Amino acid sequence: MLKYNFKYELKQLLRNRWIQLLSVLLLLLFGFATYNGLQKIEEREKVITAAKEETLRNDESMVMLLDSLDRGMEISVSPWRYPNNPMVVGNYYPRLAAMPSHNFTFIATGQSDMYSHYKKPAVSRSGFMEDYTEMTSPIQLLFGSFDLAFVIVYLLPLLIIAFSYDILSAEKESGSLRLLAAQPIRIENWVLQKLGLRFFWLSVLVILAMLVIFFIFGLNPFVSIKLLLGLIGITIVYMLFWFAVAFLVNVWVGSSARNAVSLLGFWIFFVLLIPSVLNQLGSSLYPMPSRALMINQIRTLQADATKRQDEILDNYLRDHPEYAINDSTQQRTFWHSYFASENLVRQELAPVLENYDLQLEKQQEWISYFKWISPAIITQESITKMAGTSTSDYGNFRKQVEGFSETWRNHFVPYLYNNRNFTKADVVKLPQFEYMALRPKFLSAFTILGIAVIFLALGLFIAIKNRNHLVLSNA
Amino acid sequence: MILKTFIKEIKELSRESRVRLSLLIVLLLLGVAVFISSRQYQQVNTQYETATQSERANWDNQGEKNPHSAAHYGTYAFKPKYPLSLLDQGVDKYTGTSVFLEAHARNEARFSAAADQTGLARFGDLTPDFILLFLIPLLIILLGYNSFTKEREMGTLTLLKSQGISGWRWMLGKWMALFVPIFLIAFLLFLIAGFVLSGLQDFGAFSWKALFAMFAVYIVFYAVFINIVLIISASVKKSGISLVSALGIWILACLVVPKMATNIAQAKYPYPTAQEFAANILADKEKGLDGHNPWSEESKKLEKEMLEKYEVDSISQLPFNFDGYRMQKGEEHEAMVYFKHYNYLKEQYAKQTEVYQSMAAISPFLPARFLSMSIAHTDYETHWNFNDAAEQYRINTQKFLNDHFAENSKFGDWSWQADADFWKKLPAFKYEPSNLKQTLSQNNGNIVLLGGWLVLSFGILLFVVKIK
Repeated sequence: MLKYNFKYELKQLLRNRWIQLLSVLLLLLFGFATYNGLQKIEEREKVITAAKEETLRNDESMVMLLDSLDRGMEISVSPWRYPNNPMVVGNYYPRLAAMPSHNFTFIATGQSDMYSHYKKPAVSRSGFMEDYTEMTSPIQLLFGSFDLAFVIVYLLPLLIIAFSYDILSAEKESGSLRLLAAQPIRIENWVLQKLGLRFFWLSVLVILAMLVIFFIFGLNPFVSIKLLLGLIGITIVYMLFWFAVAFLVNVWVGSSARNAVSLLGFWIFFVLLIPSVLNQLGSSLYPMPSRALMINQIRTLQADATKRQDEILDNYLRDHPEYAINDSTQQRTFWHSYFASENLVRQELAPVLENYDLQLEKQQEWISYFKWISPAIITQESITKMAGTSTSDYGNFRKQVEGFSETWRNHFVPYLYNNRNFTKADVVKLPQFEYMALRPKFLSAFTILGIAVIFLALGLFIAIKNRNHLVLSNA
Repeated sequence: MILKTFIKEIKELSRESRVRLSLLIVLLLLGVAVFISSRQYQQVNTQYETATQSERANWDNQGEKNPHSAAHYGTYAFKPKYPLSLLDQGVDKYTGTSVFLEAHARNEARFSAAADQTGLARFGDLTPDFILLFLIPLLIILLGYNSFTKEREMGTLTLLKSQGISGWRWMLGKWMALFVPIFLIAFLLFLIAGFVLSGLQDFGAFSWKALFAMFAVYIVFYAVFINIVLIISASVKKSGISLVSALGIWILACLVVPKMATNIAQAKYPYPTAQEFAANILADKEKGLDGHNPWSEESKKLEKEMLEKYEVDSISQLPFNFDGYRMQKGEEHEAMVYFKHYNYLKEQYAKQTEVYQSMAAISPFLPARFLSMSIAHTDYETHWNFNDAAEQYRINTQKFLNDHFAENSKFGDWSWQADADFWKKLPAFKYEPSNLKQTLSQNNGNIVLLGGWLVLSFGILLFVVKIK
């Protein structure tokens, strides 16, 4: 019977032009999404490359200036920009801390439109007030972007709904169901087989369309085979979930129009409502402390530190006797007191700032407890993680830059307090930044699989219970 | 006959469980959304008040200080939330709320709410605008998709033919049956919002007029959607197909087109990255006068000009402190540089707006979205205006400080300090968003687009509905 069903279903799908229509639609949607994603990546890489080149150029000129200074020659820059002053190097010749994209970044815009992809930490700019957000039109952030994740999470379920809402009801409404009832197959098996075959064909089409589009745009997805399999895996499992929902609705609800309405209700519930409610609850339960009040706090601390500058510097030097010993000049500049008070403000602020990270972590945790309610959340999250554009990726980048920022600052502190000049030999000793990406996990697909199985089981249960009713009742 | 059709349709709708259920859900969600938003609104504004006052206290109590040190110490401008944000949050979540105003630099507004939330925030929020803009159109589809198709399916069309009702009367009755319930829901929501807002303490800029304008925008938007749903229902044969096509249009108009517009706008008229922007500004700044650098060419030129103007031989003979004067001139040059670069951003933004407006030809959602945000003062334009006002205030503050320095101290005397009382004389920062009239005239394009949709869809509907 499965063989007949298979043959008949394929013929029907081809004659109804479903397969043709879906192929064209999928190619168009994937094509446009991939194009957009790649464009964003190109822009991102262009900007990072330009920044890299600028750093290199700056470094070259720094070496040249240092060389001239070593040989006691006159140079063309203002005296307070002489690179033999370590603070000048720390401020005007920063290293590039960039977050490059990888092969699969194009699949999800994620938070990439909101955050910067590179920073140049300098010694004087206070790390705790560093802004990691990007200059983007807020309208863009509001509407979001048309990427592969959007097509998969939002649009694929709708295609599935349109493709499967009237499996049973159409037969009922056209009267052919009674003919079927005479066949040696149980009704729930028949619906299941029919949906299973549609799921099979749609999966084939989705995978093929994806691969075709990737090749058209000159990508070789097999380079990162793990990510490709991960992406296909999560997409297929997510589709399976929606087919399971469709199965449940088909055997449960009734007429075509009602089915469509119920399926749409599920779609709104899973894709629109749960995410926003979870987010709302998360941010109400673990509210972010007011940023405006944080500014007040920082300002008060800073104002206080400025007033007590000399005292702070004295205390700092008492705590670091090694500087007093090594330094023969005992020269004190603006930077000496700046660093000492900055250090103090930083220490006092650390708990305040940590609070923000902590609250965000708690929100994230809260969401991870409940995200299984909606496979849409899980899918979106896994895809952005594969793309390396999730909130945690940008958090990771921020942490690394903050760490590097500190390394960079600490690198110059001994120069400053020992009143040592920066020389050409010191250039190679400058610390460098290397971004370490988070590794995506692929386990979340199993959660969706579990939910899909629950829906299927529920559908089967209802179908078996209502077996006779399903065939005999009028639409 | 219109009335009879209307009554019959309403009766039918009220007997359907799907209608009752979905109405109930929408109303429930609306209640929750209004409650959450009003709480958030109050909370944000309390924080705003505290922050503004405490920042001003910091400024006032600086003690004796050199004015230019105070300029570097700077101050903050905070953005309040406006009353109608209760109904439409617009882009508020994605825009910064505090601007640091300091010497020599225009800073971007910082700390958007979205940056302090998890990635889930990008799915959207349960706010009234989400319900008004996304769910109510869906409700319309749900109520109206089978309005005409059911007559065919139930066989009542044959009966109707013998009644001698004209097509447009029939249509109008059905149209009213959809419109009246939707109108009542929206009316109720806006009425409640109005009372909530006028009941809140210091509700500031709230006006019933603006609320009414916003209401009108939504009503027109819904009328357009009702027309679309009825056009589909009248032109296809089966209810199922009518439903699926209407949903297709909804997805296209509310989800797909806005995202497409975003991608096209960004690809065609990109913003520079924050780093590029800063680098460009720095490059331009260095071409002109730097207030801190008395040895630069520009500075020498200024010096010469002043000496000639006042006919003295050295700058210490000038009737004012040349340091302060140069500081101010440098500030003016820098302000010009910022003006130029921000204008470029604004041009890009204006061009992007054109892209959105041209996409409105395929989505009535877009003009409604933009109009509603504008009236609520949660749009991008308001954010720009706020930033511009903050920048103007920064420029004025710098002048206020530099002039005081130039007029009251001697050349070279950097240790000179202004009185502790001096800081209080600086006027406070005030920003008033544009009034309703201005807002509407700025949105002429969107009004025309939405009006166009209304007229066009009505025309097509009249043309499509026939009893046959």
